[in-house]
Amino acid sequence: MLSSIKSLCLTICCVLLAGCWSANELTEISLATALAIDKDEDGYLVTIQVINPNEIAGEKMSRGSSISSYSAVGKTLFEAVRKLTETSPRKVNLSHLQLIVYGEEMAKEGIGPTFDFLVRDHELRTDFIMIIAQGMRGKELISILTPLERIPATKIKNSLESSQEFLASTKTIELLELVEDVAADGKGAVLNGVSVEGNIQDGTHVKNEESGAAPTKILLNGIGVFENDQLKGWLTAKEGEGFNFIIDNIHSTSIQIPCEKQGILALEVVENKTDLKGEWKNGKPQISISIETLVNIADAECAQDFSAKENVQKVEQEAEKKIKSLVELSIQTAKEYESDIFGFGEVLRRENPKQWDNIKDNWEQHFLETEAQIDVTIEIKNSGMIAQPVYDEPPEKNRSERSD
Amino acid sequence: MKRRTWKPVKPAKKENQETPKEIKPLATDLKINQETISQSLGNSADIVTREFTVNQKKVMIIFLEALVNKDHIQHYLIEQIINLEWKTDAVSNDEMFQQLKSASISASELNEIDNFQDLLMDLLDGNSILLLDEYPKGLSIESNGVKERGVESPTTQQVVRGPKDSFTETLTTNIGLVRKRLKDPNLRLESRILGQKTQTKVSLIYLHGVASPEIVEEVRRRIDRINVDFILESGNLEELIQDKTYTLFPTVFNSERPDEISAGILKGKIAIMIDGTPFVLLVPALFVDFFHSSEDYYQRNDISTFIRGLRFLAFFLALLTPSTYIALTTFHPEMIPTILLVSLAAQREGIPFPALVEALMMEITFELLREAGIRLPTPIGSAISIVGALVLGQAAVDAGIVSATMVIVVSLTAICSFIFPSYSLSISVRLLRFGFMIAAATLGLFGIFVGILLLALHLTSLRSFGIPYLAPFAPFIPQDQGDAVIRKPKWGLVTRPRLVNQRDIRREDTPKPKP
Repeated sequence: MLSSIKSLCLTICCVLLAGCWSANELTEISLATALAIDKDEDGYLVTIQVINPNEIAGEKMSRGSSISSYSAVGKTLFEAVRKLTETSPRKVNLSHLQLIVYGEEMAKEGIGPTFDFLVRDHELRTDFIMIIAQGMRGKELISILTPLERIPATKIKNSLESSQEFLASTKTIELLELVEDVAADGKGAVLNGVSVEGNIQDGTHVKNEESGAAPTKILLNGIGVFENDQLKGWLTAKEGEGFNFIIDNIHSTSIQIPCEKQGILALEVVENKTDLKGEWKNGKPQISISIETLVNIADAECAQDFSAKENVQKVEQEAEKKIKSLVELSIQTAKEYESDIFGFGEVLRRENPKQWDNIKDNWEQHFLETEAQIDVTIEIKNSGMIAQPVYDEPPEKNRSERSD
Repeated sequence: MKRRTWKPVKPAKKENQETPKEIKPLATDLKINQETISQSLGNSADIVTREFTVNQKKVMIIFLEALVNKDHIQHYLIEQIINLEWKTDAVSNDEMFQQLKSASISASELNEIDNFQDLLMDLLDGNSILLLDEYPKGLSIESNGVKERGVESPTTQQVVRGPKDSFTETLTTNIGLVRKRLKDPNLRLESRILGQKTQTKVSLIYLHGVASPEIVEEVRRRIDRINVDFILESGNLEELIQDKTYTLFPTVFNSERPDEISAGILKGKIAIMIDGTPFVLLVPALFVDFFHSSEDYYQRNDISTFIRGLRFLAFFLALLTPSTYIALTTFHPEMIPTILLVSLAAQREGIPFPALVEALMMEITFELLREAGIRLPTPIGSAISIVGALVLGQAAVDAGIVSATMVIVVSLTAICSFIFPSYSLSISVRLLRFGFMIAAATLGLFGIFVGILLLALHLTSLRSFGIPYLAPFAPFIPQDQGDAVIRKPKWGLVTRPRLVNQRDIRREDTPKPKP
């Protein structure tokens, strides 16, 4: 009995004397939501966006800034992050990181060396989204305050996700996907770009999140194309849409086509399926892209009767042409940047792994010769609540003139 | 140097009650008998002696005023004796004693006594003693009349639907309440008298042929080895017969509801009733029994199953909510969704204490309030609850001593720990909670899991009168699952619990109801 009491006491002492190992009260840590990595003469300039919980969820908001940002310079990423404690008032906790921003200069130089720390460190969850700050330093981007969604990192993440969901001109990339793309032989990496409209300095003031129409806005702007780990150039929104059609990353989007006579017709893509097949023909790689899309008529600003089958077929053909041109445009641009962002190489590797081993070292050359066979099939599923357009006559741009 | 050890003086072992004492026979002389009785009871003020002459002989009635029904003695004893008609003047003492005996035949219990031990015992039991001059025998006539509480509705285990009677402090009433429900000739009742000073009647009640004879024998054995000077409440007995003392979990079930006890007896369990308390013990008691209420069987089975689910959920919530909160906020902030974490962090901003101290403070305040509220008289008790609501609520948050989330956590735990139909289980949960909180504060979620593991090990090691405590989960008994976490409809509860009952297994043959 006595010995069991003794051993119990010893066990309790062992546990208690260890002393709350690695415990951190919430009041002792600051939560980082975004991390910006920029090039610096001495290595990396790391900036973190730390949230001020009281401003976001506290009972009495003191109308202060909802975030603060701290920077530090280090030869390695790890050193820079540790040096943040010199400027930050509390220990920085990186587990809730939502966004990693590379400055454009940094992206052009090459982002490969930063991956190791991001993947290795146990505190990072690797489910954050990676972006490029277009035409500026990452530090500047993450200092900008945003109204409504008061955590700017969350704002950017939400915008990216919802625009990928409904507009399909952007692509969200998480860390592990990026690392794989950079490492893969048959696939080039992409990262979405984010730019700022308005004065950057003004954006860091509390006024920016208070005013209804914020003078400085953060907006998504094109997809950055990488060759290996270096940024080569940008895809426009249209090219981005084509890119998403090829990599089968379309959830929903809108396609505008001209009407038969006058006016414009908008189609809502509700379902899309893209199949890529590759083969080797006449010493050249050939990729056949077959796109099957289901659309609804969303907005007919012209007189077109959709109860007649021929009319529907005409619209379908028109839309097929439109998507085809988008896809061709994006392939052309990718060839200009000499980066296989669609993963055509991967398709060929899957079809014929042995042959791939022979060509993978020269894939970049071969990619430029790649011929794409594009086959688009569109089916109009329904025409919404009405079959006939609301207007009998096509509305015109200069209607006021005509009524005179 | 020789080590000096201090040893406590061991109290001398209690002498066994059974050791034969010298039996002192009654004297022939009335005066001597009276004096002996008075002296034995220390000339207590409540001894009443009533002496009168019948047929030229002195007759004496002795009783303890506090224990008897005086009307009863007046009407059924004294009047009967005085109105006796005597045939001749010269009657022998023997004949006269027989005639007195037949005169008091209207009493429900009548015994001849010839020694002082029996006489005193009967006197203390509330009987009246009738003594005849120049005769060494007496009559002990039942005249018990202590004011008793009537059968009222239960105060600790209330139900919406179900019988509203509860046990009282009188053993015979309690036995009656069970007999009334189980009209089976196989219902067995065994009585014992425990406690040298209190002479408390204890009754075992079980259903012969249903209750397992080994368990009945085990209960008898455990009760028979008891040698104490007092048993005042079933809790006294419970501590003397339970399987394991050093456990936080109850291994003996108690209830003040006759229907619940009857249902237990029908499952093959053994009820132990103690005179002087409305709380009746039921053994063997399994872990799941403390999650079951008798109302579960009176309401429809769907709602009963849902409510049982709630109780099991409440068990884990009451046990783990504060510790999980501490572990997540101090060790694993990455496990909390960002928005929630931001709002938690905003509340913790400016709180001077670590989460553990904050939680302990609130939990202890709550336990204090609860205890104060129970012990105080009702009018003051309500004042306490007002103060408590203020202390535990807004004021503490406004003062920046605790965070609002902690108030929610503590209130949730408090509500959950009172949801169990049996108060005994909520005690174990309330105590274990503190252990888990300290484990969480030192080792985080790892500590909590180690705690759960130890708890599971401990629970599986427990036995209640030989039955594994966690049955029917460990050992897993598929046939008994219909009445553990869920409750099947009545026609589906075909068998009695397997481990408790081994013989008369089948209890139901009703077909499933159809139109």
